[in-house]
Amino acid sequence: MSKRKRPEPKSSSSGINEDEKNILGLIRSKQGMGATTYEMRTATKIQPTLVTRAVASLKKSNLIKEVPNMNNKGIKHFLAVEFQPCKELTGGDWYIDGALDVSKIEGLKEICVRILERLKSKVVTLDVIYSYFEKASSDADKLSREQTREILKNLVLDNVVMEVKSNGLTDFSATRIGEICYKLTGKKSGGGEVRDGGFASVPCGACPHIGLCTPDGVISPTTCVYFQKWLDF
Amino acid sequence: MTATEFGIVYAVHIITSHFGSVASKVCECLLRRGPLSSREISRLAESDINHTKVKDILYLLIHHNCVQAFSIDPPDGSESKPTVQYIALFRNIIHGARYNKFSKVVNEELGSQCSGLLDGLLSNGRLTLEQLIDRDRDSKKPMGSEVIRDSLQKLVAARFIERVPSPEPVLGNKDEGPAQKKRGAKASKIFKEPESLEERILEAATPVDAIRFPFIFEQDSSSTVADDDSNIPEGKRKQPEVDYSSGPSNEVIWRPNFEELIRRLRHKACVEIVKERRDEGCANVMKAMLEVGRSQEKKAKTDKSVPMSMGSIYEELIKTDAGREMTQARVEACLEQLSATSSYLPAFVIESDDSYIVDFKSIISVAQKDEMESVVMRRYGKEAFRMFRYLSQEDRFVETDKIADAALTEKKDTPQILLKMWRDGYLHMQKLAVTGVYMPFLLWKVNKLIVSRQMLDEMYHASLNLSLRLTHEKDSEKELLLLPMEKLEGALKERRNKYRAKSVLLTSASFKLDDAILLFHDF
Ligand code: SF4
Repeated sequence: MSKRKRPEPKSSSSGINEDEKNILGLIRSKQGMGATTYEMRTATKIQPTLVTRAVASLKKSNLIKEVPNMNNKGIKHFLAVEFQPCKELTGGDWYIDGALDVSKIEGLKEICVRILERLKSKVVTLDVIYSYFEKASSDADKLSREQTREILKNLVLDNVVMEVKSNGLTDFSATRIGEICYKLTGKKSGGGEVRDGGFASVPCGACPHIGLCTPDGVISPTTCVYFQKWLDF
Repeated sequence: MTATEFGIVYAVHIITSHFGSVASKVCECLLRRGPLSSREISRLAESDINHTKVKDILYLLIHHNCVQAFSIDPPDGSESKPTVQYIALFRNIIHGARYNKFSKVVNEELGSQCSGLLDGLLSNGRLTLEQLIDRDRDSKKPMGSEVIRDSLQKLVAARFIERVPSPEPVLGNKDEGPAQKKRGAKASKIFKEPESLEERILEAATPVDAIRFPFIFEQDSSSTVADDDSNIPEGKRKQPEVDYSSGPSNEVIWRPNFEELIRRLRHKACVEIVKERRDEGCANVMKAMLEVGRSQEKKAKTDKSVPMSMGSIYEELIKTDAGREMTQARVEACLEQLSATSSYLPAFVIESDDSYIVDFKSIISVAQKDEMESVVMRRYGKEAFRMFRYLSQEDRFVETDKIADAALTEKKDTPQILLKMWRDGYLHMQKLAVTGVYMPFLLWKVNKLIVSRQMLDEMYHASLNLSLRLTHEKDSEKELLLLPMEKLEGALKERRNKYRAKSVLLTSASFKLDDAILLFHDF
């Protein structure tokens, strides 16, 4: 006597059932963003266990893939295999395999600084710098205008480069009035090296334990190792 | 800004090292609890100090300009007599650690005889001309009474010293409390910001300029002590609770004028900031501008100078050697540079209708910003530095991921870095719960006021630490220090040299640290 199985409503063409079909439709409609299981449940009203089963089956038949969300750790997104994960999931252009490509960024920053150093006019527009990356020989060095801007902005945050609005005079003669230009901050700002403030140059300024340090406590100025090192003549 | 916790601890430390531990108890009591009467102090001060002793200490502290007495008028119709209260002057106490800076200012401007005289006043608190002459007579190299008189006159003319304030100003009770609020929104726009009690007391105690900085200050029996002519109404005058007649009667008593001394330090700092961020030429122009506007500055912490013309700036500039080398066209170019803005520097000078205004606030803010950022860099690293700069620039709440994107930092590490800064009080955080997402979003912001306060507290803490460490180093080489230097040889000599190097480093570091404190607290 054979056990009667619940008949699975197989779809004739692709060999997947009704639930799977609905879910796959939803996932495809979401393109590069994909869908989370939570979204599948709420959108299709299918029971949680059935959703899990359907997702597993779709994965097995190589119709969908799982992509982690860089912005929300622990949340999995499911994408139809024909789509590439979008920026929101991967973290953006600067991420490869889920990690920030720091060495690439630093390399590009160095190139920007060298360009700015080389250009005599000192004040340079975004387009001038972009033109260097646009005609870069290797594909890896090619940048979009937006990416070039991001790199420059990062250098501004590093205090290596400053943004100046053109006033059309002297230094700015080759630019439109009001256009944002870039220039090296130069030695005056320490060229990215932070000027040593009065506080930052004493051990307590950089000390991670300052909140715990008291005159006669376990951590104190008379016993502390930071002072010991600083005063080691 | 009121004193922070470590500000108080540091102030008490200064008082202890100058006047001993009993005086510091009285002072701490006032710093922590606010104005009190002498009876209240003897009751509340940590250890038992009897009333007479409290009064002696108060007298000492008043003499050294660390405390001011005052009383408040009883309500109208009330028969009760106003009680004298005492308020600790936190600012002046902290000045106690920077006397050498004041002395240097005067030395540079008026020479060593004047700075020597100021030193006498700084270490003694208050003195009369006669006492200054006596001190000189007893010194190793007397300058003579004529020189003393002359120097004193110069110091008064430059406003580096002033006649002592009224010993016990009486504050009216009416312009206090809720009554002020009732004036309505319109009125409050016209009136100045409500002053703190301390400001009101000091204002009431300070005599008008003609008395505060008299041209002639020979002995004059009619108007000698400040309160004779000050704004205290007739009938309100009475014998002060503590006896102030330290000098021979009817002689003017002088003291250092911290307000002017701080103003000069502030101006010097501004010139230095301009020199470092712009160039020598701009610094010279700034110096001239500060000189032109100085006499019209009402308080030390002025935000903006009075407007001044190109002509008046140039006139001032050519009084100096460096200035004479500059053409008018060069000065104009400097002014243009000073009024330019970039992401790196704000405008230092505001140009309007052919006149120029020094924007003190913006100049000082640049140095404050650098000071904050260098601490962030040292303590939390380069990524944090970028995030901090990004958030200060945005000046609003920004979500974690946006910060990571803008600063190009690894998303996985960003929350930890932000949390670390938040825990230390360098960032402000807000949680934003969104339905459907089980983790709340975290939003971050740099609140400059909160960071300044946090840093100031830490800087007082660090100053205290440097001072304690110096004492510790001194104590551990006590015996060695008793031996004469020329008799030392070999290992002992080396140890002595090491001690010297340490104490030089500690002293110069605390000197520089105090510059940063001035930047956040006094400028
Ligand atoms: S004394 Fe030492 S432990 Fe204390 S805050 Fe300074 S560096 Fe840190």
